[in-house]
Amino acid sequence: MRGTGLTGALLGAPADDAAVDEYEAVEGLSRGDIECQRAHEAIAAKKTASDYQHIVWAYGVLWSLFAIYGVMLLRRGQRLRADVDSLRARIDKA
Amino acid sequence: MARTIPILLLVIAAVVFPLSVKGIFLDVGIERQLGTVQKIFYFHVPLAWIMMLFGVVCGIAAVIQLRRESRAAEAVAIAAGEMVILTGLGVLITGPIWGHASWGKAWTWDARQVSTGLLWLVFVAYVLVRRYGAAGSERLAAALAIFGAVDVPIIYYAVKIWKTTHPSNNVVGSLPPEMWAALWPALGALLATSIALVMVRARQERAEMDLDDAWVQAEDLGSAGAKGEAT
Amino acid sequence: MRLPRQAWLLAKNDLRQEFRDFELVATAGFFTLVILVMFGLSFASLGRSVQPLAIPGILWLAVAFVGTLTLTRIFDRERESDTLRALLTAPVDRLAIYIAKASVTLLVLLGCSLIIIPGLVFVFPAAGVMFDHPLQTAAVVVLGSTAYAAVGTVFAAGLATSGGKNVLLSVILYPLTSPALLWALLTTRSLLEEHPDMSIFLLQMLALDVLLVSLGGWLFESVLVGGNTSTARARGRRR
Repeated sequence: MRGTGLTGALLGAPADDAAVDEYEAVEGLSRGDIECQRAHEAIAAKKTASDYQHIVWAYGVLWSLFAIYGVMLLRRGQRLRADVDSLRARIDKA
Repeated sequence: MARTIPILLLVIAAVVFPLSVKGIFLDVGIERQLGTVQKIFYFHVPLAWIMMLFGVVCGIAAVIQLRRESRAAEAVAIAAGEMVILTGLGVLITGPIWGHASWGKAWTWDARQVSTGLLWLVFVAYVLVRRYGAAGSERLAAALAIFGAVDVPIIYYAVKIWKTTHPSNNVVGSLPPEMWAALWPALGALLATSIALVMVRARQERAEMDLDDAWVQAEDLGSAGAKGEAT
Repeated sequence: MRLPRQAWLLAKNDLRQEFRDFELVATAGFFTLVILVMFGLSFASLGRSVQPLAIPGILWLAVAFVGTLTLTRIFDRERESDTLRALLTAPVDRLAIYIAKASVTLLVLLGCSLIIIPGLVFVFPAAGVMFDHPLQTAAVVVLGSTAYAAVGTVFAAGLATSGGKNVLLSVILYPLTSPALLWALLTTRSLLEEHPDMSIFLLQMLALDVLLVSLGGWLFESVLVGGNTSTARARGRRR
């Protein structure tokens, strides 16, 4: 807003008519319209930006799938090792 | 050497994954229309590619297994088949999640969805036959895998033609170019992970086959010994 | 003996067996009727404009069910009298066995479609289009059934020789025959809607048939020869 902070310093002192509002007209739209539009956009953006639930589910599913498979492979490896050991024991017995 | 490659690949994946996630979430920004849910895309698409890749690998390995009686090929085929199921599950679950979040519809009977689902079913059948089939059914399973791999383009075309003759309104979005950059790290991480897992699984299967043979030999020797022959 | 003659002799043998007691014809035919009734009950209330959406599915699902039943029975018969092994040890070209079995399956399927198509026309008015274009309907049915038989015979034979469990046949057949069925569905629906591209679809089905029969013939031998290798014994230990 003109007259405050950095913009005020850059743009200089406000014009003499204090009756004019403290904002800068954007593309010829009135302030009411701008605020309305921004409010709607804010709601939509907030919704899409905070919609984390689906991502959590999707990523969670993916990595648990891989993790489960990894665990299955590990258990298989253990079983195989046990099998090798029992075979060795059997050969040593013979 | 063979042992270290999978570990190396997994390490690479572990490193690349956080980078890719950072890229996806921080660098790309939030797409206006679809919002954060679109982030699922960066893993969904590479998974689908990897699924097709391992489907083809499984089919080729099955051909080699049948033609050359190669056990190594058989082991690779089994491992690739399981990876197809794994990645297929990933694709089939994340796709509807994305679809449901984006346009309210989980299953759109889109050509890609249907062909992915059918391909997944074929490879589940492959694994089932290997697991529950009777003793001689390895070759049958290999034939299954070959048919399955050949079926993929056929199914895809059939569904696509169906859709063009009877068009519906669902459009699966495509990606603007600046977002591709975030896709490649994700593809890299997933590819490294899946290749590592397949290598481990194939080696395990090979070991299991050799172990079975060793057991049979041991039993033969044992029974020969029991008959009083010299050991 | 040349291949066609071998195949013909084998097929004739199967057919002769069939004509003794008509078991397969009777059971498959009755089964077709039952399926038709069940589908009719389920979908008879569909509106006229919507029927072309359902009819292809009913037709080809019926073919799929009858096909599974037929294949199971054809190879069960061999397995019961242990003639399959005898057949394999005889100096018969494997491809002839494949052609013979697939042809018999195809014949049974065609016979059942003689029941299904008029039945569908009876139950669903929209199916009347099929009687208006008998040649095209016949083409669709023949091409689709050939594709189904081509794929199914390979796996039914494989399961029969490996001492197989029949539950696996259903598990295998439906996903694997889905491309053939998909194309048949597509073509049937375009027939019902009198779509201009229908002849193109028929040609594509013909190409698909050639592909599947070649692939099936190539794989048939590999699938059958499995059996008493040491890996098989070893795997038997693990179960």
